Amino acid sequence: MSLDLTKVASQVIAMISGLKDAREERRQRLQFALDTLNDRAINIEKLKKKIAASRTTWLVAELVEGLDKRCPAPLNPADFTVIGSDGSHIDVDRHRSNRCYLINIGSAVITYGSRPDAVLSNSPRLYSNDEDLVISSPDGDREQVVEGAILGIKRSVEECRHLAALAAQLPADSDCLTLLDGTLILWGLEAYPEFVTQSLLNDGFLACLDRMKQLKADRRLALASYISFPRSTDVVNVLRVVVCPHDVVDSDRLCRTCTSRECDKVQGVRDRDLFINLLENGERSALFISPSKIVKERYGDHRVHFFYLRVDDEIARIEIPQWVAENDRLLDLTHGLISDQCHCGQGYPVVLAEAHEQAVVTGADRENFWELVESSMIDEHLPSPGSAKSFSKRTRWI
Amino acid sequence: MRFINNQSSGKIAEVIEAETTRFTAQCYDLYGLPPLGSLVHTGDVYAIVFNASTSSLEPGRKPLARGKDETTEEDIYKSSPQLAKLLRSEFEAVTVGFKDVESLRQYLPPQPARIHAFVYLCQPDEVKEFGGSFDFLDILVNAALPIPAEELIAASLRQMSRVQDDPRAFLVAAGKELASLLSSQYDRLKSILGRLS
Repeated sequence: MSLDLTKVASQVIAMISGLKDAREERRQRLQFALDTLNDRAINIEKLKKKIAASRTTWLVAELVEGLDKRCPAPLNPADFTVIGSDGSHIDVDRHRSNRCYLINIGSAVITYGSRPDAVLSNSPRLYSNDEDLVISSPDGDREQVVEGAILGIKRSVEECRHLAALAAQLPADSDCLTLLDGTLILWGLEAYPEFVTQSLLNDGFLACLDRMKQLKADRRLALASYISFPRSTDVVNVLRVVVCPHDVVDSDRLCRTCTSRECDKVQGVRDRDLFINLLENGERSALFISPSKIVKERYGDHRVHFFYLRVDDEIARIEIPQWVAENDRLLDLTHGLISDQCHCGQGYPVVLAEAHEQAVVTGADRENFWELVESSMIDEHLPSPGSAKSFSKRTRWI
Repeated sequence: MRFINNQSSGKIAEVIEAETTRFTAQCYDLYGLPPLGSLVHTGDVYAIVFNASTSSLEPGRKPLARGKDETTEEDIYKSSPQLAKLLRSEFEAVTVGFKDVESLRQYLPPQPARIHAFVYLCQPDEVKEFGGSFDFLDILVNAALPIPAEELIAASLRQMSRVQDDPRAFLVAAGKELASLLSSQYDRLKSILGRLS
């Protein structure tokens, strides 16, 4: 039975009506946020101290270059390479007899300038060994199965591993940007035990970042991740701190009893709303530092910095490790090459679009994969029982 | 399995669809297409190129106009190097003969070309040898093709004449053969002869 849209239509109309009614209020909140952002009276050093002393349940960006700085896109080198990687996966299906999963990493290495070239490739890998299917604690007492959210994080690690391997093949003394899709912050790990974080973050993702940091010793190599249409409010939350009448912002202790609720005036505003009004096409915002707990505790000299970049009518969030943020040349390379990539790619980086095309696994691909697994088992006379639920979904009847 | 193509150099394309009367081949180089009417061979099968196209590698991805801010067409490919990997050039060729142990036959082969078989542009001496007989014209005159057969016949004869010692004598001899084949189809004959110069 398909979705009965006639039953949904009235609910959609009510939702749109609500959005329309709130439009004027949203405009006022955005204007207040912009006025606060551009307020020349803000003492940035005092604000930094107030942010550092804040105890909030919401994430407040740390300031590096102030609040309202705007940088035009810098000139790019004549010859450069941009590398992107992206991944797709087929998750473990508990209704199938055979436990396994597949990660397909797509990559694009595009060289621009005097010797233009492109290498597009994909690398599917099947994981079915015991050590692939679970992450074990060092003492062997605990295990975490690799599926669902954890598999998504493992895929991020593999994307980064491919990126580092491709970057290592670049000639010395070249200019290169390596680009990942999404965030550098493996948020999802905060909910898992220490040994899982150690395996996937420290021994996996951060080890790859270490490798790339080493590679920059003899080439100008920058690393960044690209978040399209970000939902983050880290900078808007800085404005909440600015307008908070208390000397020390303590959301647990003071917000409940606060009567002025000045910070409600920026409620619902997102960082992208601010910067689409502040930045011209190709410009980047000031640099900020992610306040996330996992970054502070784990990332060390890969501490995630970010800036916003205007790409036509969209704002993208660009995340970079500290060693890129602190190197002006690498920062400019990141800013300039991402702008150029978006310009060439109809608003989205070409290398990420091509890496995605290489990586994508469609619904039909998934079906074909499981058919291959099952037919191969049958060929070898191995039993391949599936669940009745799985059979029911695949074989529909009346 | 029958692997005929042991020659590794000079290949221009690879067969991706094949039937007894024709095959489709994908070029190794973007726009590396043999001209209309060229004689090509894959293994023991000889064929004449009757159609060519360049399109997106994936049916769902259409090329977009990109040159608004570029000075030359070459600049478009320079500023988007991935294009060469996302587009493909293909050609179709109609089978006009095959080589068996004894000699070159200008009629349909017992087996079609193999998928992934290499395709070579025939060298002048091969073209000369093939042009020693006009029996292949009968296949072209009667072939059901998406382009007018007259265009293809004229193009193939022009191509072949270029490697002959006496191109004019070659074309005159071909014209006589066509006059015999198309004795009751004056308009077709006229159309071909008008395209031979």
